[in-house]
Amino acid sequence: MANPAKPMSRALQRREDVAGYLFMLPSLIFFVGFVVIPMFICIGYSFTDANMNSKTNPTTFIALQNFIKLWGDKTFLAALRNTFVIVLVSVPAVCAFSLWVSSVIYKLHSAALSAFRCIFYLPVVTGSVAVTVVWKWMYDNYNGIFNYVLTKTGLIEQNINWLGDEKFALWCIILILFTTSVGQPIVLYVSALGNVDQTLIEAAQVDGATDFQVFWKVKWPQMMPTTLYILVITTINSFQCFALIQLLTEGGSGTNTVMFYIYRTAFKLTEQQGHFGYANAMGVVLAIFIGILSAIQFKLGKEK
Amino acid sequence: MKTIRKVLALVLALCIVLALAACGGKPTEESKAPVDPTKGPDATQTEQQPEGPAAASEISVWVYPVGGWGEESKVKPLIDKFTADTGIKVNMEWLSYEGGDDKVNAAITGGNAPDVIMEGPERLVANWGVNGHMVDLADMIDDTDRQEILPAALAAGTSTDGKVYLYPMFNVAHCMAVNYTAVKEAGAEANIDLETRLWTVEQFDATVKALYEKFGGTVAAVYCKGQGGDQGTRELIRNRYGTKLTNAEHTAYTWNTPEVINALTDLKNMDGIAFDASLAGGDEIAKFYQGVLKMAFCWNAAQQLDPNAAGTGEGKTLSGDEIVYMTFPTQEGKAPEEGSGVWGLGIFDSGDEGRIAAAKQFIKYMCDSEHCAEAGDISNFFSCRSMAEGTEIKSNNPLLVEYYSKMMPYMGEYYQITTGWAGARTEWWNMLQEVGAGNDIAETVAAHEAAANAAAG
Repeated sequence: MANPAKPMSRALQRREDVAGYLFMLPSLIFFVGFVVIPMFICIGYSFTDANMNSKTNPTTFIALQNFIKLWGDKTFLAALRNTFVIVLVSVPAVCAFSLWVSSVIYKLHSAALSAFRCIFYLPVVTGSVAVTVVWKWMYDNYNGIFNYVLTKTGLIEQNINWLGDEKFALWCIILILFTTSVGQPIVLYVSALGNVDQTLIEAAQVDGATDFQVFWKVKWPQMMPTTLYILVITTINSFQCFALIQLLTEGGSGTNTVMFYIYRTAFKLTEQQGHFGYANAMGVVLAIFIGILSAIQFKLGKEK
Repeated sequence: MKTIRKVLALVLALCIVLALAACGGKPTEESKAPVDPTKGPDATQTEQQPEGPAAASEISVWVYPVGGWGEESKVKPLIDKFTADTGIKVNMEWLSYEGGDDKVNAAITGGNAPDVIMEGPERLVANWGVNGHMVDLADMIDDTDRQEILPAALAAGTSTDGKVYLYPMFNVAHCMAVNYTAVKEAGAEANIDLETRLWTVEQFDATVKALYEKFGGTVAAVYCKGQGGDQGTRELIRNRYGTKLTNAEHTAYTWNTPEVINALTDLKNMDGIAFDASLAGGDEIAKFYQGVLKMAFCWNAAQQLDPNAAGTGEGKTLSGDEIVYMTFPTQEGKAPEEGSGVWGLGIFDSGDEGRIAAAKQFIKYMCDSEHCAEAGDISNFFSCRSMAEGTEIKSNNPLLVEYYSKMMPYMGEYYQITTGWAGARTEWWNMLQEVGAGNDIAETVAAHEAAANAAAG
């Protein structure tokens, strides 16, 4: 019988704990300083009429007025609707597409696999401004490549104002968001598929399981933690869609999102009474929605 | 092992302390760049600076891209000259119109606003000034200055309670432009009076029609992606039937008029005119410069001198077509009112008398000294004053001289200081987008005028 491991002395344990906390400390300081404290400040300000011009308009406590005002603000409601459209379209699309691509490429030769991973990951590592500028050229109303190809092939008669027409603009944004969002999920899914226990797959095949059954009953449950992570991250990223809107449409053509409206209210509409407080209230509402959706995803993921 | 841990812990602790130190605090006087003792601020203070506290040795100046002042290479020699003459080091920062407001507003909120800023009265007076962020410059303007500075420009820089938050520097009348080569190809040059640069709505419509029939597509765009260059669409629309967009007191917006609704209806129904929500003013200029659009509504003297800031020669498109600037079209017999552009310098109230004194020295140097002409020339606009400290301020550039005689007499009032201007601009381009999307014009105008007035309080 092997000797059980000798328990650590209390002094040694304390020293290890202290070392652990010390290693965590730098991250903790930045997390508390730049995430936790601002979060509480944001919640606090959402109950006030805080504004940039505190010299002439001192900040006062206004309880829930900002939150009440939000539900009568047509611009906010439109932005909220657009945000949900983006989330509800892009999250399933990103997950499904990345799962499909990874299941096709994960068994390829390592060189081909690396090449595919690079291709799909390229938009992620490329600066969002650069990516957006290229898309802006392609969408251009007058001499963009999409209009050029579509008119030359006779699919459309007149140029489409992709980013200037409410019928198309939001979908154009979602397409760009999609291309910049699939890179990381593909890499994660390829890795998750590679880690699926082969013995279970072989056992299922011996028992006569079809490919779909192998995927659904064996692979999918083992990839659930990865899927959950991808769902949560993609949901949060979609809720916080901002740079694309700012660079392409400035919130016009029916593309306003809550994130963009927060920014606009806080930093552009500075003459508006209580603009900081109002923007913070929007931020709190957005955080609540993200929290609820993430909780649902975690719950469903755990049940699965 | 113990030693390694101790060393690691020490390094980490040092990193934290250094990072925190790097995150906060303004540079101290000791950390600032040394000043040439032979050219210290005191040496020139007696001549340049009104009596008061000793000027600081360093100031920050933020500049929006106002004409040529948006180009560092043009501005730097004058700034270097100022530093050499006064010993005050200037930390220049060039802002963009896209992100400049965010940066300034964030700086104001964080207590890090620059000492001096260059922009127009809608920001310096109507926003930051009346909200207590700016220094009153009334003590810098004596009776002589009041005689020399254009009264309209001085009025634009002054708040309703008489405080001067913007020292006027230069101004220009915003106009429109046509691709004259294309107009000639379309056989519509008879509508263009090169002598007066005036035209009627009828002539404008006929020119658009001719260009549309010749080239098809979009002749001109009522751009409405955002607020950039929105003065062009405002002046186009309000001049068409001759109306004002604000009341005389600049306290309310008056868009919901038959003149505005009819102008929007005309433009919406006109072949060749597109309400384009994918373009802002700068994009429109670029498309005009590329020859895609045949007319531009976002134009002025600086654009005429250097179209699209491309450096390819004055009054020419990319392909060499001739550009002709024109007034906005009006009804027969009615004089146009071109958009008024006034820019100047203001000082953010840092509470530091030394920095404010140095900032005033900077303003005096740029706006009221023999260097005033040079500062004006850089802008490619027109100085707001006729004389400065005995020196006549006059541009010698033939194009600017011609532009001055043809366009400046039609410069309209500066109404951009109306209360709630930032919110009203947002309502304006949103209104144009909705009109372009086919919404009922009268209802749309009424709704957005109401929203603009509600925001104005």
